[in-house]
Amino acid sequence: MNLIYLVPLFPLLGFLINGLFRKSLSKSLIGIIGSGAILASFIVSIILFNDVRTNGSMIVSYFNLLDIEAFKIPFAFQIDQLSVIFLLIITGIGFLIHVYSTAYMNDETNEHFGRYFSYLNLFVFSMLLLVMGANYVIMFIGWEGVGLCSYLLIGFWFKNNTYNYAAKKAFVMNRIGDLGFLLAVFWILAKLGTVNYGEVFASTVKFSASDITGITLLLFVGACGKSAQIPLYTWLPDAMAGPTPVSALIHAATMVTAGIYMIARSNVLYTMAPFTQTVVAIIGLATALFAATIALKQNDIKKVLAYSTVSQLGYMFLGLGAGAYTGAVFHVMTHAFFKALLFLGAGSVIHAMHHEQDIRNMGGLKKHLPITHISFLLACLAISGVPPFSGFFSKDEILAAAYLKNPIFYYLGAIGALMTAFYMFRLYALTFLGKFRGTEEQHHHLHESPSAMTIPLIVLAILSVVGGFIGIPEIFAPDAHMLEKFLHPIFAQSDSIKELHHLDRSTEWMMMGGVSVLIIVVIIIAWRKYSRTEQFVASHGIARTLENKWYVDELYDNVIVRPVTGLGSVLKNVVEKAGIDGAVNGVGRFVHYSSRQLRLLQSGQVGNYILFMVLSIVVLFLVFWNQPQIAHFLEKIF
Amino acid sequence: MNAIILSAILGVIMMFSGIWVNNKATLRWIALAGLLVLLISNIAEMYGYRIWNVNVHNMLYFDRFGLLFNSVAIGSTFIFVALSGSDINRVGKYAAEYYTLIFFVLTGITIISVYTSLLMLFLGIEIMSIPLYILTGSDKRNLKSNEASLKYFLMGAFSTGLMLMGITLIYGATGSFSIEVLNNPAIAQGVSFLEITGMLFLLVSMAFKVSAAPFHFWTPDVYDGAPGVFTSFMATVVKAAAFIAFVKLFDARMSYSSAVVDWKMLLCILIIATLLIGNITAVFQQSVKRMLAYSSIAQAGFMLFAVFSMNEMAKEGIIFYAVSYSLATIGVFAVLLKMKDFTFEGYNGLAKSQPVLAFANTVFLLSLAGIPLTAGFFAKYFMLASVIQTGHYLWMVIVAVLFAAVSVYYYFRVIQAMYFKTGEGETENIHPGFKTGLIILTVIIILLGVAPNLIINFLYF
Repeated sequence: MNLIYLVPLFPLLGFLINGLFRKSLSKSLIGIIGSGAILASFIVSIILFNDVRTNGSMIVSYFNLLDIEAFKIPFAFQIDQLSVIFLLIITGIGFLIHVYSTAYMNDETNEHFGRYFSYLNLFVFSMLLLVMGANYVIMFIGWEGVGLCSYLLIGFWFKNNTYNYAAKKAFVMNRIGDLGFLLAVFWILAKLGTVNYGEVFASTVKFSASDITGITLLLFVGACGKSAQIPLYTWLPDAMAGPTPVSALIHAATMVTAGIYMIARSNVLYTMAPFTQTVVAIIGLATALFAATIALKQNDIKKVLAYSTVSQLGYMFLGLGAGAYTGAVFHVMTHAFFKALLFLGAGSVIHAMHHEQDIRNMGGLKKHLPITHISFLLACLAISGVPPFSGFFSKDEILAAAYLKNPIFYYLGAIGALMTAFYMFRLYALTFLGKFRGTEEQHHHLHESPSAMTIPLIVLAILSVVGGFIGIPEIFAPDAHMLEKFLHPIFAQSDSIKELHHLDRSTEWMMMGGVSVLIIVVIIIAWRKYSRTEQFVASHGIARTLENKWYVDELYDNVIVRPVTGLGSVLKNVVEKAGIDGAVNGVGRFVHYSSRQLRLLQSGQVGNYILFMVLSIVVLFLVFWNQPQIAHFLEKIF
Repeated sequence: MNAIILSAILGVIMMFSGIWVNNKATLRWIALAGLLVLLISNIAEMYGYRIWNVNVHNMLYFDRFGLLFNSVAIGSTFIFVALSGSDINRVGKYAAEYYTLIFFVLTGITIISVYTSLLMLFLGIEIMSIPLYILTGSDKRNLKSNEASLKYFLMGAFSTGLMLMGITLIYGATGSFSIEVLNNPAIAQGVSFLEITGMLFLLVSMAFKVSAAPFHFWTPDVYDGAPGVFTSFMATVVKAAAFIAFVKLFDARMSYSSAVVDWKMLLCILIIATLLIGNITAVFQQSVKRMLAYSSIAQAGFMLFAVFSMNEMAKEGIIFYAVSYSLATIGVFAVLLKMKDFTFEGYNGLAKSQPVLAFANTVFLLSLAGIPLTAGFFAKYFMLASVIQTGHYLWMVIVAVLFAAVSVYYYFRVIQAMYFKTGEGETENIHPGFKTGLIILTVIIILLGVAPNLIINFLYF
């Protein structure tokens, strides 16, 4: 299909136009170009989706990025069931976020408005490259592009230094992960001489067991960076320094899903490396629980959401580790719906509250922001996993797979799900229920957001409610899991490697029913507790530890950052100044000195020149006729 | 054959047009048209169209290598005249004669790129050199120009003597002038002492022509004293041609004897000495023109690697090196000739006053330094890779890279002056056509730096 290149082309053009002409274009035009580019991509993606459904996957190669004898890296796009799903998520949700941004960012000056939209387009472009590439190198280009854009957007308000710090933190954390990714790609290259997905997965027999384990572990390090898993997750909560729609983009449509995509793409390798799978599952589960505990005690509306993202990503990795690739992709999708909705809803609240983000100063917003309130409630129900909202189906699928892997994973995962329900409804109740606790002036200005913001909310709310129905589990209706059927070609090779287990029906009913009932109980508790809260007391003990995020940032600071900077200053003062500078300047002085001396050879006297030449000829002749002796002599010396 | 005869005829035509045409600009157009005709006729010969079929008695052999180099040389001369033609016209009254001499130089060049007989080598070298002695002294009222011309001639005569001595000895030993291995009866009998001595003399005289140390002494004085535009011509097209002759000599004559005699140590000494003298001395120069003279010695050190390794890659590489080095140096000189002041200080602030010149000059200098994405990178790459292929004296590669690093210093001094120092950056009047020419040259250099096969594929079409 010739349309494929259009998908990334539109955002790229949008980026160029808005970036280059940001000073001369009007805001409405910038908004139309920025959103229109993504809408166009979305439409092409739908066409591609239909194409893939009828004709299957396709690979289009445009030119060779590298072409050195037998070693070729083509610039090729692979459109198949997996990438097309991601295309729809990225462009669809991306488009809604763009529309939302036109209203949310309206206070910015023309120039910054244009800059914002050009970054946003570039972000989507990079993510599209990442997903569409037919080999690991194209994926890496997108991977790096996404990292760059997140840096640019998190530090969008660059006049505030803490924001710049957050941007740098995101970049550095991502780079640590990127190193793992790069090493894995080099490893694959060294073993197979190719990085094309098709060829790599077809020739896995050439890998030894330790190769596969090493490669998959290194890839997972990359995924940890991009998808915010322990120990590289700390950048994501800080990333909310950027404008709220950017958080929505990072958390829902782009960036953090990259790690999931990459592992799902490499599912064949992971299925062949059971050890790595266990590591992925354990890290995922630990992240899910750890982030959930932190989210329990956060008071910033965006921080709660950020930790909930980290936690939900943990579930996705649990799914990947348990071999439930479809479940993980499914959860990416439903999570994209409700997390985008939650962030955009939070943005609407922040907008109404004049940049107030502390939920202790909110409350009772229900009647002032009706649309935001309803959509936010639906999103909370979805993320908590209340049936029949979308989160229920995807989370259930992951937990069922976890049970098959190891029942302990299941129980811990279920506890995490309960915590999710608790902190989400704590957030909901403190924000929308009870009495208003903000200032009089804030109360006076409370208003529902403009339609450019509420329409995306409504669309996303509908998706959050019904999005789960494309993955109805076997026990409700046989053969109703449309997503699994659609994705089957991608994971077929993995399915053939591992032996399939099935839960028996009564266990599955019990698990599903039990968790659902418990979740609803937790929601009621949280609802009752926090809708009446008016006084906030300073927390202590374990609560205080949670509020300070288990002091992980401080731990990293003391264990890694300080020793490294300390070592750095030693190197700078001792090695650099005394050693290297001296050596480098010494070499420079020596060259200069010899230059001055050699220059004197050039006396300008022809007689001298001829004399030198004759002498040289004599010496050369002598050397020539005595070569063996000289060679022997040199050998003796060295 | 086309190019040899046509260039001689065109030289005569140029000479006569000097009588009838008084306008120098018209003369330049005639010269450009002549060069274009020459280029086309030579390319036609590459594809098998010969205008004349002369029996050359096996003294010349028109192979693809030689003809491709002819195209490169003529093409470079064309670019040279197109860019610096107005500067040729400024040298003195006799513009027609200057163009005539350039055509005669090309006659010599087109002979030495295809010779198979040592007599032809001698003839070609002399046809090439004598017009150069005149061009060096063409600024008649300038004492420096006269001095340079005389020095060049004296030392040139010295090297010619050596060459003749060498040829005589070889003839005496083998009874043949041919460089072709197959025709040589000496193979069966082994290589005699006389013949080897003859070849040593030949080697020394060729080293003189390509200004390899320690036979480089004429280079700085001549390049500095000659009118700048002719320095540009000498340092590029002529030097590259001398290298082609050198490579051909080693390719045929010396390769069969290398079974008996090892040339590598001698060449190694020449290369290291050339790299050392060229690069180190260039560091301290205050005049950009003189710095370029030393840099041309340094570049010769790199080109000598082709003679050293003498494999397929070296032959491909020397053609590519000739192109990239000639184009970049022509560009650097073209900009230099527009400067009012030839010292490094003269370039101060050029980026502000003439951004196009400064940018183009930067690309040329980067190419000379061998920075990736410019043609110069692949030129150096081919040379070093050819040495690695031979598997001998690998440490020379490291030494060469270190000296290339030294060269970055003096090339970047110009860039630093243009971009980071404040000053007037005074230039002569710049014609818009000149800027266009520079930009085209820049594009070619970058294009070759991305896709070097554009040139090399011509060897095998």
